[in-house]
Parts: sequence; structure tokens; C-alpha cells
Amino acid sequence: MRIDVYVPLVLSLLLPVIAPQVGRRVSPALAARVLTVAASLTAAASTWAMVLLAATLIDRAPSVAAEASEDGRALPEPVPETIAVVAVAVLGVIAFRLFHAVRAHYATRRVLLRLCEGHPPDSELIVAASSTPHAFAIPGTPGRILVTSAMLGALEPAERRVLLAHERAHLVHRHSASATALALAAAANPLLAPVRTTVTFLLERWADEVAAGSVGDRRTTALALARAALISQRARAGCALHFSEHAVTRRIAALQTAPPPDLWPIGAAVLALGALPALGAVDATGDLLRLLAETLPGW
Amino acid sequence: MAGTRPHGRAERRSAGELESEVLAALWATDDALTPAEIHAEIGGGLAYNTVHTILKRLYDKGLVLRDVDGRRGAYRPAKNAAELTAEAMHQALDRGPDPIAALQQFVTGLSPREEEALRDLLGGNGS
Repeated sequence: MRIDVYVPLVLSLLLPVIAPQVGRRVSPALAARVLTVAASLTAAASTWAMVLLAATLIDRAPSVAAEASEDGRALPEPVPETIAVVAVAVLGVIAFRLFHAVRAHYATRRVLLRLCEGHPPDSELIVAASSTPHAFAIPGTPGRILVTSAMLGALEPAERRVLLAHERAHLVHRHSASATALALAAAANPLLAPVRTTVTFLLERWADEVAAGSVGDRRTTALALARAALISQRARAGCALHFSEHAVTRRIAALQTAPPPDLWPIGAAVLALGALPALGAVDATGDLLRLLAETLPGW
Repeated sequence: MAGTRPHGRAERRSAGELESEVLAALWATDDALTPAEIHAEIGGGLAYNTVHTILKRLYDKGLVLRDVDGRRGAYRPAKNAAELTAEAMHQALDRGPDPIAALQQFVTGLSPREEEALRDLLGGNGS
């Protein structure tokens, strides 16, 4: 209990360091998958660790303390009381952040449903008659692809096919589920926020690779990205809001080299790292239950 | 380049995907297009008859208009739903925390230097 309970916290520091390295060396499909699993497990385990630490306060409960002193028993203190109190406060923050993440998720869902209104339910493409270039996938069953007329008008026919294939890849491979999992993981454990950024980028790379495969041409895919990025940039002149770490340039550069390999050993290593905090949390739970059994003999 | 295949030689596309492609082609231009023009644009080993079938399906769904601009057999996209969607989209984009920013965007922003590099990549006709 003394050590196990801190394993998830150590992993939360380690994962953000290795995530970009994994993303650079492994195919985006594999890297995004294993990092999503590892981050979700780590976030769940670190939250549970806080619950365990907070639970050690139970022997401070007046009834428990009184009963123990009557029996003349000394109560165990597996972690310092200060840490347990901090854990309670952290749990409060986690609950608040999760609540906001979930609320933002449903706010987005509501907007997306409105965007689909008036379009036949069995058509994949939803066009918005707008002069602002925009394109994104709308997850759901069935998933839809929203593209503005400005974006369609700016692309060559083959590039339009890249765009559709890219958004379709987001839908087919359920990238929104990964994105939601990472949003919740980063809300529950802010140390994992960089992993979320990495995976967000990898999901785009994954969709780029699928698009390149289905259009059959990496160069056309790169050109489609370049053209879309340029016209989008012009539309939001002077607004640096969406600037994110050279993401488009890096995606275009990646399409100009061979696709990275499915390095399963690295993938397996990341999964093993993700399993570690979960095992630590399970072990710590066992320890705490034993302690509780000693503290509260009536249970 | 690795994995390069000649244009339009891509794998078979499903009916739903082809509908998206034809609709996208119609939206990409201000002119009304005939099936032959659409066929020439999206081509790719697609039978001319298939383009007809897809246009018929789009027409039945109310997504395209036929015989517009005095050109018999020319098609144009229907605007009503698309304008409502644009309105809803702009309302969402203008709102405080942008709910659409949370989605996977096709592209994100560029620094001035990156902009220049991409322009070079497109051979100067990217603007």
C-alpha cells in the first residue's frame, strides 16, 4: 500500500515523456491505440489511488477511533494524514473537472445533431453553404461528414476524395471514442494532458494514412492537406487560435516519406506500462482492505 | 513515391461514397453540371451509367436540382438544408467555448513560415 498506491502517479509522469517518441517511430494506428489504452488505464488507476489514500482517513472517524480506544487497539496509519487529506481535496477537483468534460462532450453532441437537421438520414456528406473553409467528421450511427462549400470549391477533384476518405477514416475507426477517452483521462489526471495532445495528432496522421491508401497516392494526400491548410489560414487571417505545434506541416512531411511500421514490440511495451498502474492500484486495494479488516473488526 | 498508383485507380467505392463524391463535385463549382461533366471530373474507372444512377438517387433525396439554368439534364445542389446547416455552424463557431474545436479538424493553423513552405509545395498556385 505504501508504495503501490503511488505507482499510477509515477506512470502519469512517464507516459507524457514516452508518448511523442512512440508516435514518431510507430505507425499512427498502432501508436494511437496503445497510447489511448495506456492513458485511460493510468487515469483510472491514479483516480482510484486517490480514493484509496482518502479512504485511509476512515480510522479518523470518531466512532472508529472511540471503539478502538475502548478495545485498547492501536490504529494503523498506512499513509500520513496530511496526504490523505490532500487526496480528498484532489478527488474534489477531479470530480469537478470530469463533470465539465462530460458537459462539454454533450454540448458538442447537441450542436452536431443540429448541424444534421434537414439532411436525409442516409446520406453521408453534409454540405454547409458557407464561405468559411471547414471540414470535420460527425460521429454517430451512421457517422456523417460535414464540409463547407468553400472547402469543396478550393480543392481539386482528387483532393476532395482525400478529404472525404480522411473524414471517413475518423468515422470507421471510431476516432471520436479515443478522443473522448483521452479527454476524460486528461480531466481526471491533468498530468496526462500532453498524451492527449499527442494522440489527437496521431488520430489525424492515422486518417491521413488511410486516405493515402484509399486514394492510392501519398503526394495527392499531402497536396490536399497543404491546400486545405492554406485556404483555412486565409479565412481566419490574424487569428492564431488554432495554431498547434506545426501539426499540418508535420503531417505533410510524414506523407512525403514511407509510412512508419507497425512496431508491435513497442506497442506491447506501452500496453505493459499502462497495465502497471492498474496492477499497482489493485494491489494497493487489497492492502487497504486488509487494513480495514484489522481496524474495523466488526466488518 | 511509395504506394503511388495512377490517378483514379483507387479501390472500388461504395454507393454511399460515390453519392458523397458526386455531391461534393456539384458543390465545388458555381456552374450547373451535366452527368457527362461530372463523369469527366470524378472519372476513375466509373461507368457513365453509374453517375446517372447516383444523380437519380441524390435527386430523389432532394439533395440536387435538375434541368437548371435552362440546360436540360444539368444538375445543381439544393441549397436549403445546406444554408440552415451553415447558420447553425456559424452560431456554434461564434459561441464562447467553441464546441466544434473539440472535434478532429481536417487542418489546423499555420505559422507565416509554414504558409510560405506550403505555397512552395503547391508550386505557387495554392493561394
